[in-house]
Amino acid sequence: MSDHLLELHGIRTGFGANTVLHDCSYHVAEGEVAGVLGLNGAGKSVSLKVVAGLLPAWSGRVMFRGEDITKTSVEERVARGMGHVPQGRQVFADLTVEENLRLGAYTLRRRQRDRYRQTLDNIFDRFPLLAERKDQLAGTMSGGQQAMLAVGRGLMSEPKLLVIDEPSAGLSPVAVKELFETLHMVHGLGVSILLVEQNVTFSLKLADRVHIMQRGQIVYEGAVAELDADKIATHLGVGRLLHRSLTTATRTKAAAAGS
Amino acid sequence: MSVQELGGWPYEGYGINLRVTKRKVFAAVALAAAASAPPLLFRGTTLLPGHLALSIAGGVCIALMAMSLNILLGYAGQISLGHGAFLGVGAFASGLLTINLYMPFFVGLLGAALVGAIFALVLGVPALRLRGLYLAITTIAFAFMMEESWFRWEPLTGGSAGLELPRPRVGAFVFFQHADYLALVLVLLVGYWLFDQNITRTKIGRAFNAIRWDERVAQGFGVPVASYKILAFVLSGALAAVAGATYGHLIGFINSESFAYKAQPNFSLLLVIIIAIGGLGSRAGVVIAAIVYALIPRFLEFLQGWELIVGAVALIDVMARHPGGIAGAVRERGTKRGERKARSEVDPVDDDDDLPKLPRLPRPMGLPARPELDAGAPLLEVEGVSVTFGGVKAVDDAAVTVRRGQIVGLIGPNGAGKTTLFNAISGFVTPDAGSARFMGTELIGRSPHIRARLGIGRTFQQIGLTKDLSVQENFLLAQHIAADYPVAKGLFLTPGAEGVERTMRGRATAAIEALGFERFTTTPVRNLSHGQQRLVELGCVLVTAPELLLLDEPSAGMAPAAVESLGERLREIRDELDRTVLLIEHHIPLVLDVCDYIYVLNFGKILAHGTTDEIARKPEVIGAYFGEEVA
Amino acid sequence: MGQTLISGLANGGVYALLAVGLVLVFKGSRVLNFAQGEMGTFGLFVAFWLITEQGLPWIVGALGAIVTASVIGLLFERIVVRNMGSAPRLTVAVATIGLLLLLFALELKIFGPSPRILEPPIAGLGLQIGGFYVSPTQILALLTAIGLGLALAAFLKRTDFGLGVLAASMDPSATRLVGIRVGRVSAFTWALAGGVSALAALLIAPTIGIFAAGFMTGLFVRGMAGALLGGLTSLPGAFVGGVAVGVIEAFVGDRFVQSTFPGIQSVAVMIVIVVVLLVRPFGLFGKASAA
Repeated sequence: MSDHLLELHGIRTGFGANTVLHDCSYHVAEGEVAGVLGLNGAGKSVSLKVVAGLLPAWSGRVMFRGEDITKTSVEERVARGMGHVPQGRQVFADLTVEENLRLGAYTLRRRQRDRYRQTLDNIFDRFPLLAERKDQLAGTMSGGQQAMLAVGRGLMSEPKLLVIDEPSAGLSPVAVKELFETLHMVHGLGVSILLVEQNVTFSLKLADRVHIMQRGQIVYEGAVAELDADKIATHLGVGRLLHRSLTTATRTKAAAAGS
Repeated sequence: MSVQELGGWPYEGYGINLRVTKRKVFAAVALAAAASAPPLLFRGTTLLPGHLALSIAGGVCIALMAMSLNILLGYAGQISLGHGAFLGVGAFASGLLTINLYMPFFVGLLGAALVGAIFALVLGVPALRLRGLYLAITTIAFAFMMEESWFRWEPLTGGSAGLELPRPRVGAFVFFQHADYLALVLVLLVGYWLFDQNITRTKIGRAFNAIRWDERVAQGFGVPVASYKILAFVLSGALAAVAGATYGHLIGFINSESFAYKAQPNFSLLLVIIIAIGGLGSRAGVVIAAIVYALIPRFLEFLQGWELIVGAVALIDVMARHPGGIAGAVRERGTKRGERKARSEVDPVDDDDDLPKLPRLPRPMGLPARPELDAGAPLLEVEGVSVTFGGVKAVDDAAVTVRRGQIVGLIGPNGAGKTTLFNAISGFVTPDAGSARFMGTELIGRSPHIRARLGIGRTFQQIGLTKDLSVQENFLLAQHIAADYPVAKGLFLTPGAEGVERTMRGRATAAIEALGFERFTTTPVRNLSHGQQRLVELGCVLVTAPELLLLDEPSAGMAPAAVESLGERLREIRDELDRTVLLIEHHIPLVLDVCDYIYVLNFGKILAHGTTDEIARKPEVIGAYFGEEVA
Repeated sequence: MGQTLISGLANGGVYALLAVGLVLVFKGSRVLNFAQGEMGTFGLFVAFWLITEQGLPWIVGALGAIVTASVIGLLFERIVVRNMGSAPRLTVAVATIGLLLLLFALELKIFGPSPRILEPPIAGLGLQIGGFYVSPTQILALLTAIGLGLALAAFLKRTDFGLGVLAASMDPSATRLVGIRVGRVSAFTWALAGGVSALAALLIAPTIGIFAAGFMTGLFVRGMAGALLGGLTSLPGAFVGGVAVGVIEAFVGDRFVQSTFPGIQSVAVMIVIVVVLLVRPFGLFGKASAA
């Protein structure tokens, strides 16, 4: 059990008198994309805040690379190999693309300064759009471009796990398609991903495993290839409309896994 | 109280009104007499030596000053860090009137109030556009300017030679003795206290608090924010000027440096400190803090020169540990218990899956008559609306028609422009082009708060309530447009105003009971769960029986079963209450279940619209929502 | 007229320093630092003690002043501001008023109420540039202000930590998520604000002549006006605003030197502020995301 890259055990936390997570547990295995789904307000983003360290857990444990990081600071977790793509992208609007990427490499530069140039060139290779606009102010880019920058920034510290919070929110379908391809490529590089998403189809296409959260607890968990479309539909409360697309997605995944 | 009675106005006839007025005046006078009795009784005795009376009187004057700032800063949330300007203005005005024009004391005070109000108006108008720190620094600059220019102008203020303000006199009796003046000042304190109470018990205080919390929420409930902000400035300025004058006559001598930033004490900062320590918005806390401040030096005499250092360290410490001041610390003890309870619970606290029925209330009196429209006639007609933010077209030539008696849904992915369109209709955002007509009246270009009066109610994604007010106070705030009495009558809490308030309270109680939230009547809204807050918000929006409801993602944060219940309530609003709804929603099944007509929005454009059946069959709807490629 | 411009620029340079200090703290901690001026005055007293009473060279005194003020800023951030992260900003501002009062009281207690004189580093009549007289201190003030501005700009844009300071002012949580300790950034910001304040005090003291406790208050308000004018979120804006206030004051004072109405300069500055804010409610270079 403790050979998973990231694990949340029995997390209970909230704000003030509001408990948002009740006994929340999920995990990300090495090399996989784990998707956390659920309706608005279910607690998905709150659980990511606990993973990042931005919100303390009242009880429960967070394990990363075999170590208990429940009490570790946000910055220390990043130094240990956790990269982030925050909700709303949160790029540094008044700084250029290159400056954003440089900031992403802050912990890398402190560890191994000489690797920075190489890593930057790598990122520019994989994201030619960022290379083109490296002196452009991040705030002037479109949502999709900022999403790409946020992913690039998260990768600059060469993390083992990339934690991504609702990346497709506010993006046009074209941008979402590009984002999907970007993340697919990132996954191909061997980076494990923890993804929280509202867009069900997006998650199902990208994830290997899915965890469904409802009112602060995981109510369903399983490999996408073996999904029970009915169960998911009920938990997400979406009904007939989604059923068709869900069935298609799972069948595709199962076929890909099988072949 | 039956529902029918709530719609009417409790007419009581003139006779009873006079009696009520007489009773109130009598009570006020009795209170004033009680307050002024102790100093008069003890004057000249060893219990109240002259210098002690002077100190206490000074403290009461500072309490008056602090209460004036509290109205602006604590209630209305407008940061004024230069209140010394108004104190000085009042003191000098009263000085000039009493010295040069030989006017009696109370005329001096009235003159001070008038001049204070005028200067407050001068500051308040530009202040309308400023927020937060920009406003704060502007007020400091204003105070500084007053200090360096007007206060130093010799013909007006006597410059550094200053003015000697006389004590008041009644016939042959002069208020020389500090104890006598103390009695006078205590009477003023009673007056200020009652005035302040009237503010907090009427629509004025509620409007101020709403403005402080979130101007949009205030606008949504029909509060004309700009006017009330000016009102807050004017009231605060006038009361501060009177307080400054009172202080001046107590001390007897004021000059150009008395109210300066370099003065000891720096009144502008002192008042802010006192309010912060007493607790922002707390009448009692502020008065206590002021009087303690005035008396503390006596107890610290043994410190011999270290008082200022100890005081400064104590101030820093208090602010660091109790940001809410005295009042906040008292409140904290109550909430801490609640938090501990939440943490120790084993099972999740269940929101009621079944939403209680929404309140059904008739239209309040005193609102403009609305034309009767047939079912199906267009209620809201939006045409050609475009909104551009920094080069990006957030809404592009949108056209929406909402017919009476329908529930119309506006769907689309995140960032499609739905909320921006709502904001354009609500008046929070001015579109570059287009029109939005509600029952024939054009909305675009007009101030947001008129919508409530016209009959449009709106909810917000983040819950449009003043979250640190109680449930009841929010229901009262929501009836702002039905609070049919002028501000002046509210300030003096005339029987007429009280009658209207009673009606509003009755309506609020009925609504709270309908929701089953009696136990939450006095609970601050922020202590409720998200689902409960959403319900209170819906109740508040319905309490003035608007024709059209604009609902912004009402199902956000609700469990699936509760969403189904919400659907039932929405149908109730349409069928039983005979209202019209335009809603933004992400929850497709809810939309398909409840809406009669749907508009699909993406990239700011209306992609498709039609009846629910038509839309459910269109593939681009599914694609736009779920992010699949359009077939 | 050129003479007026020179003294306006020199004074403006000092106001600019104060404005920059204010904006630094505002960007870092979202709070108005009422003690921004007094941190410098305290440093000035330390310089006085080192130079006049201990006979050390001016540069040692100046360094002492800067270090002392920086340490004051650092300590205040560590002890007070760090623990008030979730407190309302007004309360933190009141805490800075407490710091102001504390420094004021300590100055009175340690050094007494009588005014002091600090000899300027370079005595003498100064230079004659094209018919205008420029005192050595004015030259120093101008050069230092410009130099500091450039150095700060370079630091912020070219070093990792500097970029971190900028990032933290835009988005503290995203900054933490790239692994930067925002606490350290905050401490540095406050220390820098203290140092800048001391520098401003050192540069303006010789021009004004004497100084005492509370000396910087009036100048601090002008620094605030400059920051307001430039926009509270913009460091270059603060610089420009501060200089603008200096120049406006100089010209208005020169034009109305015969007027019987006192403080015309303040009225003029106030009018300029109101006019600018009416057109641009966030200052000349400020952005809405701020206050």
